[in-house]
Amino acid sequence: MARYGMLINTKKCIGCYTCLVACHRQNNLLPTENFIRFEERETGTYPNVGVENIPLQCMHCEDAPCAAVCPTGATYIGPGGVVAVEEGRCIGCKYCMAACPYQVRVVNESTGTVDKCRFCTVTATDGTKTCSCVEACLTGARTFGDLDDPESDVSKAIVELNAKPIAGDLTKAKIFYVR
Amino acid sequence: MTFVPVWGGIIACYLFLAGLGGGAFITASLVKRMHPEATGVVRVGRVIAPIVVIVGLCLLMVDARGGLYNPLRFVFLLTNPGSVMTWGVVILAVFVLAALIVLLMDLIGKNEAPAWLVWVGNVFGILTAAYTGVLLGVVNTFPLWNNALLPVLFIVSALSTGMAAVMLGGLITCPEQVKGMVDLTKVHLVLPAIEIVLFFFLLFIVAHVSTAGAASVAAMVSGGYALAFWVGIMAVGLVIPLVIEIRALRSGDNRGLAIAGDVGVLIGGYLVRYIIIVAALPVVLL
Repeated sequence: MARYGMLINTKKCIGCYTCLVACHRQNNLLPTENFIRFEERETGTYPNVGVENIPLQCMHCEDAPCAAVCPTGATYIGPGGVVAVEEGRCIGCKYCMAACPYQVRVVNESTGTVDKCRFCTVTATDGTKTCSCVEACLTGARTFGDLDDPESDVSKAIVELNAKPIAGDLTKAKIFYVR
Repeated sequence: MTFVPVWGGIIACYLFLAGLGGGAFITASLVKRMHPEATGVVRVGRVIAPIVVIVGLCLLMVDARGGLYNPLRFVFLLTNPGSVMTWGVVILAVFVLAALIVLLMDLIGKNEAPAWLVWVGNVFGILTAAYTGVLLGVVNTFPLWNNALLPVLFIVSALSTGMAAVMLGGLITCPEQVKGMVDLTKVHLVLPAIEIVLFFFLLFIVAHVSTAGAASVAAMVSGGYALAFWVGIMAVGLVIPLVIEIRALRSGDNRGLAIAGDVGVLIGGYLVRYIIIVAALPVVLL
């Protein structure tokens, strides 16, 4: 079984939000339901300064704290290591939102349940090649694939660009960042 | 990014009432042992205990909208034995059941509730209070929650608020019985004192854990929640009730003052939960 992961190259990210728009369309989300959150960080010391755009979304952690605390088992780690939410079991207690150190879970205001990035590319493999945020990115900042396959684009890119999880070993995250 | 707390007043109220219920039941047991003549006060404690926990559980269900719209989903609450919230559901269910049976037997008055059942209530009362702290304690997103001192603080606060609620009920319904309860007053006095010490340890240690911990503590002691913390929790909830109790031991009861002190403990107890929920800031990622 594959172990899906993603690489996000913040050096290529221009903060245009196209991935977010594509995500909304692909997953049919409410306007308030953002699976991708953008952090802007100032870097350097004056006069050599810059701005870093960092898109954050569910890291599909192998040791997902959200799944560990979910009292109803609505959040679980599914095939391919994708952290998923079974809406029909979610009571909306928001314990997972507290437990997620990345704060990338959102409440669906119409159902009261909690949702997040679904790594939708995995189920969309028949139709589109990669999930829509990956396809839509104008600068090619995102790479998706099987982390267990050393020949996959994502595995090669992680090695080549020395990509790392956003917050060290806070959790065993499967999104790798180039910064 | 400006962080928006995940939970707010409703969940703070739930944690407060769950702790208060456990504390009230234990207070009733203590009164029965230390002052067996104060039957009215025991009754007050046993009435309060299940009712407030049930109200708290209703609040929880109102906050959990996914379940509110589809109540059958609450059945799934028992399916993840690794989740502290699942333990909480079991603990609260056992406590409410035990407290209700004890209350019913008390009201019918034919037989005394069996001692083992009262002990089940006592133990699960403590567990209820502890659960509210552990629920937050296992969340490593927030340094203010993620420590072993928080459950202890919540247990002490639960006993203190439970006792205050029972004394308050007693002062209103049977003030002559409350008057002679010197031993319980001493217990009631020690709790806020312990709480002040625990609070100091908690804040001092969390302030040294990480930048997020320091920022959370700063928000409480000198930031946006400073007024609620110093006036609401420290003055109204802890120091003033402590002074009132000491005065009562030295120069006799004063009903008005005692009521004021107990109301203060309850206000402070709620604010403890509320501030700890909303002032907690997440670990810094970037």
